[in-house]
Amino acid sequence: MTSHWCDFQNTDVILHCGSNSVENHPVSSKWLNKAHERGAKWIVVDPRYTRTAEMADIYCPIRSGTDIAFYGGMYHYIIENLIEPNLADYLAGKEVPVYNFEYLLNYTNASYLLDPEYSFDVESGLFSGYDEATKTYSNHSWHYQTESEEQWDTAGDYAWAVAPGVPEFTTPTLQHPKRDMTLQDPMCVYQQFKKHYSRYDIETVCSVCGMDRQTLELVYETYTASAAPGKAGMILYALGQTQHTYGAQNTRAMSVMQLLLGNIGVPGGGVNALRGEPNVQGATDMGMMVNEHPAYLKWANTTDRSSLRKWLESQTYSDGYYTNKPKFIVSSLKEWFGENATVENDYGYDWWPKVPSKKTDQDYTHISTFELMSQGVIKGYFNWGMNPCHSAPNASNVRRAMANLDWLVVADQVATESATFWKAPDMSPEEINTTVYFLPCALIYEKPGVILNSGRWLQYRYQAVEPWDEAKPDYEMCDLLWTEICRLYEAEGGANPDPILKTKWDYYIDGKIDPRPVAWALNGYRVASSDFADEKVDLLSGYSEMAADGSTACAMWIYSGFWNNSDAPLDPAAQPIGRRDNDDKSGLGLYSNWAFSWPSNRRILYNRNSADMNGKPWAADKKLVEWTGAKWDLVDQADFVAAKNGTPVPPNNKTFFMLWEQNGRLESYGMEDGPVPEFYEPFESPVEKNLLNGALSSPCMRFAEYESTKHGDASDYPIVATTYSVTEHWQTGGQSRACPALVEAMPAQFVEISEELAAEKSIKPGDKVRVFNNRGSVVVDAVITKRLKPMRVHGVTQHLVGLTHHYSWAGVFGTEAATVNDLTPNVGDPNSFTPEYKAFLVDIERAIGGAK
Amino acid sequence: MAEKAILFDTSRCTGCHACQIACKCWNNLPSPTGLNENKFSGTHQNPPDLNGQTRLIMTYHESEGTLPTKTVQWAFGRRACQHCTDAPCASICPAGAICKDEATGMVTTDNSKCVACQYCSTACPFDVPRYDGVQGTINKCTGCVDRIEQGMPPACVTTCQPEALAFGDRDEMLAEAEKRLEMLKQRGYENAVIYGAEEMGGLHVIQVLKYGVEAHGQVANPTVSPVTTLTNLMKPVTGVVSGVTVLGLAAMFGLAAGYKRDKVVYNAETEDTISLITGDVVKHGDGQDTTSVKDHILENLPGKKGGDHE
Amino acid sequence: MQLTRRGFFKSVGAAFAATAAFEVAAASPALAVETSKEWKLVNTEEHTSICCYCAGGCGSLCSVRDGELVNLEGDPDHPINKGGLCPKGASMFQLRNIVDPETREVIKNPERVTKPMVRRPGGKDWEPITWEDAIKEIARKVKDTRDATFIENEGGMTVNWTPGIASLGGSQENSEEEYLILKMMRSLGVVAIDNQARV
Repeated sequence: MTSHWCDFQNTDVILHCGSNSVENHPVSSKWLNKAHERGAKWIVVDPRYTRTAEMADIYCPIRSGTDIAFYGGMYHYIIENLIEPNLADYLAGKEVPVYNFEYLLNYTNASYLLDPEYSFDVESGLFSGYDEATKTYSNHSWHYQTESEEQWDTAGDYAWAVAPGVPEFTTPTLQHPKRDMTLQDPMCVYQQFKKHYSRYDIETVCSVCGMDRQTLELVYETYTASAAPGKAGMILYALGQTQHTYGAQNTRAMSVMQLLLGNIGVPGGGVNALRGEPNVQGATDMGMMVNEHPAYLKWANTTDRSSLRKWLESQTYSDGYYTNKPKFIVSSLKEWFGENATVENDYGYDWWPKVPSKKTDQDYTHISTFELMSQGVIKGYFNWGMNPCHSAPNASNVRRAMANLDWLVVADQVATESATFWKAPDMSPEEINTTVYFLPCALIYEKPGVILNSGRWLQYRYQAVEPWDEAKPDYEMCDLLWTEICRLYEAEGGANPDPILKTKWDYYIDGKIDPRPVAWALNGYRVASSDFADEKVDLLSGYSEMAADGSTACAMWIYSGFWNNSDAPLDPAAQPIGRRDNDDKSGLGLYSNWAFSWPSNRRILYNRNSADMNGKPWAADKKLVEWTGAKWDLVDQADFVAAKNGTPVPPNNKTFFMLWEQNGRLESYGMEDGPVPEFYEPFESPVEKNLLNGALSSPCMRFAEYESTKHGDASDYPIVATTYSVTEHWQTGGQSRACPALVEAMPAQFVEISEELAAEKSIKPGDKVRVFNNRGSVVVDAVITKRLKPMRVHGVTQHLVGLTHHYSWAGVFGTEAATVNDLTPNVGDPNSFTPEYKAFLVDIERAIGGAK
Repeated sequence: MAEKAILFDTSRCTGCHACQIACKCWNNLPSPTGLNENKFSGTHQNPPDLNGQTRLIMTYHESEGTLPTKTVQWAFGRRACQHCTDAPCASICPAGAICKDEATGMVTTDNSKCVACQYCSTACPFDVPRYDGVQGTINKCTGCVDRIEQGMPPACVTTCQPEALAFGDRDEMLAEAEKRLEMLKQRGYENAVIYGAEEMGGLHVIQVLKYGVEAHGQVANPTVSPVTTLTNLMKPVTGVVSGVTVLGLAAMFGLAAGYKRDKVVYNAETEDTISLITGDVVKHGDGQDTTSVKDHILENLPGKKGGDHE
Repeated sequence: MQLTRRGFFKSVGAAFAATAAFEVAAASPALAVETSKEWKLVNTEEHTSICCYCAGGCGSLCSVRDGELVNLEGDPDHPINKGGLCPKGASMFQLRNIVDPETREVIKNPERVTKPMVRRPGGKDWEPITWEDAIKEIARKVKDTRDATFIENEGGMTVNWTPGIASLGGSQENSEEEYLILKMMRSLGVVAIDNQARV
């Protein structure tokens, strides 16, 4: 989230799209109710009338998978109703109360000129730069035109980049983009944007999305009221947006909407991804993904990051805060390899594995790992509290793939479907030669440690009780295993032992593995004055103290400052993360003295955007930062350069300083599948034609070529299906199915069916229903409901069903034979590789005999 | 302590079930643990009704929407003891196992005194008290008076994320309910009403019902069951003691309800329980007896323990 | 480092009785959590934690008596949830202990597995294994798989890959654990690292 939970109360309009937060992030309801009772309007756009919809003022059904059409329609509405009628007036110096032109012109790239080669072809549905052979784009033509160039001043501000100990690299060149502040140049982002979305008129959008025109107009009118300076609209989204073959573009679409409306960086605004797992924010920050490195840096690869020098040259930004990346990567290497990391050996960079990254290379992300198991490439597999046999798309394919493994290690609290895949109803254990280890783990209150919430707060969990029996915290298991692996390599040698034996692993207190020294590593420390073996550490107060010369070590620059009290390094309560002052001095729910929010305890990201070009807040009663004429008055920590070398920096337009151009991107060259969001149908779509362009599904969709995906056509499977969670259960149910009170409150998984579809298929309350497609067939309970209604899509009636997915064959209190993810397609988004769980095709029938 | 009440504002409720579950956890109430022992109701309402191990459930009721921007309405409700001022369960209980907590107005239970006669179930206009076959006692919401005594709200209130539940002095809760009602009317919920202000002499669960009384599963104009009235009429005949001292009217009630039971009298002053058949003190108030009144009654029943339907 | 939020709760005159009841209970097969009507939180110590479900980051209070969890509910001082918890959060106690419907005693959650197990090739069921053996066997398999599939150099470039091993998960762990797992996997040469954030 760019915002945080308690900030929800500050909004003027709430838009839920792709989120059912009242059910799946129930604490949100506390803060949303507060906003609502202060007069905020509440809109829910969702295929189903959810518990969230019940809370809202306006409910607008949408066909699963058509979000970009919905957002594109909103852009069109904003351009036609707010921008075009008022732009001339604004440029003439007149006041425009309904739209924040100052934000659009100064804080976004609307005025930037695009490369003259930039284009979009409606007929093919392709942007410029597409390569049919690899199904990828070259983003060359998506860049800006350059006005002038500027080199780093390595004698002045950037002297650190050439200091002793800093690895050599060619410093980047800042290319100042060409701009047209009147927004009239045909190649300016705004004009291209306007042209692009002229196709997204309200009739087309309604026909694509299955919406009612009046309701949609009301939604647009209500939400775009937040375009007025001083008003804030908030988008809440979750997996309903991301689990599509264009999920990352959905996320972009929301960001663009918020930029157009001036809603990013203001209290009650933001693009708020409601993260679903307790520490998924932490795992994302940690870069526990193929191509990622902790703290949003990129992992070593075989192309543009094949050496430390190449990493520095490809990753270091020419301007903005990411000019500091060399400090972050060197400090990371220094923490990783300790004294073995020196400037002479590139701080050990080559010991890191380099991810294969040529366009023709095999992919190693989640969906692909099962192909690699089927091919016998991946032979050993660790599951740390994750249950792919239940949660991965096309789950029966996953089971079959896992049967090829030599060994599997599952660390969990209960024997999950993944731990017991060999016992699945459709498996024959005697034919499966996988050795499976189950390692029992401690519960959250049986171990201490750091966790992050969706609002980027780092909070501390204290241990309350000892783990049952022989259960252990994961950090202990990990240490046991690492120690034994190191022992084997020391004793026997083996394939290049250096990356293993040069790794620094000294996180012990009193000779016992302990999470607190790991927290020191995450916060960062001065190398010369720290010695973990001696339990001595000289902690960095924050990331501004980091250096690129090997004198500082830090695993996670964004966390720096969360654990910075060297006087009591073993006491979490004495650290910023342990703060428990719940007095809200801001009056905005910032709670700045409660725990720690990364980066640097900022509660609202991009908060410079909450004030105008003179530094005056758009909303006087919701002040985050204000320029007094001499200095910045900061209610929240500044997410911009407020002072330089101790001197206050007066207001300027650099409001997004994590981007090199420091302005928000309506158009972005950073995406794999297009510079602006364009609507495509899902992998499996109920319609034959994309009403908005000539490409049916995303030209860059991943993994559709795998045989296992088994595409189904609407002629065989005419019903749109989506999957989701209920508030009483959680994900694959490993935890929630182990709680009898939750099993009692929601004892089954079900398919929600409209009354109309139930009548058509002769399904009655209490019936079991078989839901099937090319990938699988599952029998689940029927929930026949008014909350789901057939839609009119392309002028014809379209049925939609929804399935919950919390049960399967494992479990002591409640089990079902059906694994709902047997139905979902293993195709993915080209940016995130996230599967398309939210829109696919099925057919249904009343299950004869009704067996589970 | 002033009279207390739980305020339930259905317009803030998200139907999340947390109250139902917090109630179970705080009160150490079990849920079925046999494989697939729970049967799915086909809706979000599970278990479908209160039972011997469940004192509080959320209810869910779908109908066509009344607002142009809402095509459906999904009314969430709370089903649990309403803590009546005129609580027929307390007045009919022969064993003093259900009584009004004078300090708070909550209707509490004392399982050690419960004789499992289940008159309270019959008497309750809301059909709330349920028989727990394992314990051989009645199970219903106690208002978490144990928590209230410690300065904590009831478990369901504490856990409520959307703050649909609140707890405080009854007059303040009523005043707050009025404010919420006005807000809802302004938002277009024309059928919204307050429930519990006057019903049964005034309930200690005050509800703001967004879609009206029936939509949220509440009983319009609840009244004391005729059986209870009959029994109360008979009280002078058997010499009822005043105040919280309750006379067991098992035989009388038994006739009315078709049961045949032992008769006991509970004396609130000495806390002794006396059998009307033998005249013996069945259980001494000093806590020395290890057997319970319940055991005594059960021993003297023709059927097995709690054999009400046998 | 032990954090007690508001010190001990003392019950009104019931402290001794409840402690006695606890001692009796401790000797029985049921857990040391008595279900008497005495004040439930008598003589408990509070430890704060954070919920293990969605990323709301709601604070919880674990009440512990003599080393055993007696109650878990929302932390009333926490600014995000102010004492509230959703149904899943409110039932976190049950991840460890549940009430037996037959005996009404608080027992260890029977679904939870608390000892290491192994399933051998072709096996139809789990077998017990000690931690020591499990770690030894896994480390051996990791080494064998790494040694067999390791690619140190490709086309003249040092790559240090172990394509034969994959690691999945992390969003369930505390951040320190995430770092250790990541560090272990990357240093082993694993590229196929993913977690719940991917889906």
